[in-house]
Amino acid sequence: MKPPTSKEQDVQIYCTEVLDRFWLTDRVFEIKLSKPSTFRFMAGQRIRLLHGAIRRDYSLITAPHDPTLALCLKMIEGGEYSPILSSAEPGTRLSFTGPMGYFTYRPSNKPAVFVATGTGIAPFLSMVRTGVTDFTLLHGVHEAKSLYYQDIFRPAARLYIPCLAADADETGSGENVFRGRVSHYLAEHLAPNAYDFYLCGRQEMIRDVTLLVDEKFPGSLIYTEVFY
Amino acid sequence: MKIYTGSGDRGKTSLFSGERVSKSDPLVEAYGDVDELNSILGGLAASLPPEEGELVEEIQQIQSVLMHIGARLAVTPGSPVSAELEEITEEHSKGLESAIDRMDESLPTLKDFVLPGGHISAAWAHVARAVCRRAERHVVRLPTTQTASEDSEQLRNVVVYLNRLSDYLFVVARLCNQIHGLSDTPWKK
Repeated sequence: MKPPTSKEQDVQIYCTEVLDRFWLTDRVFEIKLSKPSTFRFMAGQRIRLLHGAIRRDYSLITAPHDPTLALCLKMIEGGEYSPILSSAEPGTRLSFTGPMGYFTYRPSNKPAVFVATGTGIAPFLSMVRTGVTDFTLLHGVHEAKSLYYQDIFRPAARLYIPCLAADADETGSGENVFRGRVSHYLAEHLAPNAYDFYLCGRQEMIRDVTLLVDEKFPGSLIYTEVFY
Repeated sequence: MKIYTGSGDRGKTSLFSGERVSKSDPLVEAYGDVDELNSILGGLAASLPPEEGELVEEIQQIQSVLMHIGARLAVTPGSPVSAELEEITEEHSKGLESAIDRMDESLPTLKDFVLPGGHISAAWAHVARAVCRRAERHVVRLPTTQTASEDSEQLRNVVVYLNRLSDYLFVVARLCNQIHGLSDTPWKK
């Protein structure tokens, strides 16, 4: 392990330690990390975890002022790194670089529409924990139990719409559930206007929503973060 | 990780500041030129011999500055995103001037126009120079280059940088021929 202040190609490498890890669903888990004293970031940004030759970017779900860092990850069967992290015990030491990315909240006079699929909800959680409110949030998931952070989002959002797969069990999803893709909700229910769209999740969702915005919401801004 | 997204299949693209614009938008034209220039500089660096490591490093630093310039050109002036970008300053242009003066000292005095070409590396440098001029023209055409604001000042600094960079590339072309024992070919009118 390199010392906390060592440099890799002029990039600051931080050392951190796993403080806690727990499952949110059978495939998604949250991992809490110690926060290096000199590390600063903006809500919505990522860190890059380093493990040998492996580099993986993950959005932070904590607020910049929080005393610890946390990530929300999906465990990919046969993946290179997420299975390792999914079994990391408290005390495990990790290293990372960052912060990375520009997917940050930019207040404006246009209404904000947050659109996430799966663990793409992560950067929005950091934004809400930083005090962002009065947004519309669509969260596309395959099953209601994947709406793991709804109790945090509901009070902050002007409108929170879980978008459940058509055949999913609705138990635990709360009110205002939409059956279908997030892009379908936007096409069918979002009033014509110019918005600030923040899209985070699968590439297909980002493409579908972007093309829909071109067609139906001209004058809008689109900020994107692709999750693979 | 897929490279293609498909969100530009209908002729629009997203600016870094979030706007969806036509791919023929003047900003896209300008940063497209800068991207082309950057790619050609990659060709130039790749064509240099291993012993010219310092020159390669200098070119790579320029490529890095061009990435910042490209980002700036992908932002609508007045957008809050501008504040997040790396500033282009006079120091960037002065760095090029120092490099030009350093290289020029070792080159014979120029008495005629020269034909672009010679060694392949010199030819790359001339292509880069011409594309750099096109990028400069496209940046100058942006309406905000002419107005007074922080963004306009940044664009004016970009114009200065590109202007100086094309001079730098002309000198690099001559240096490349000298490195390879070739003389510039004068234009015979």
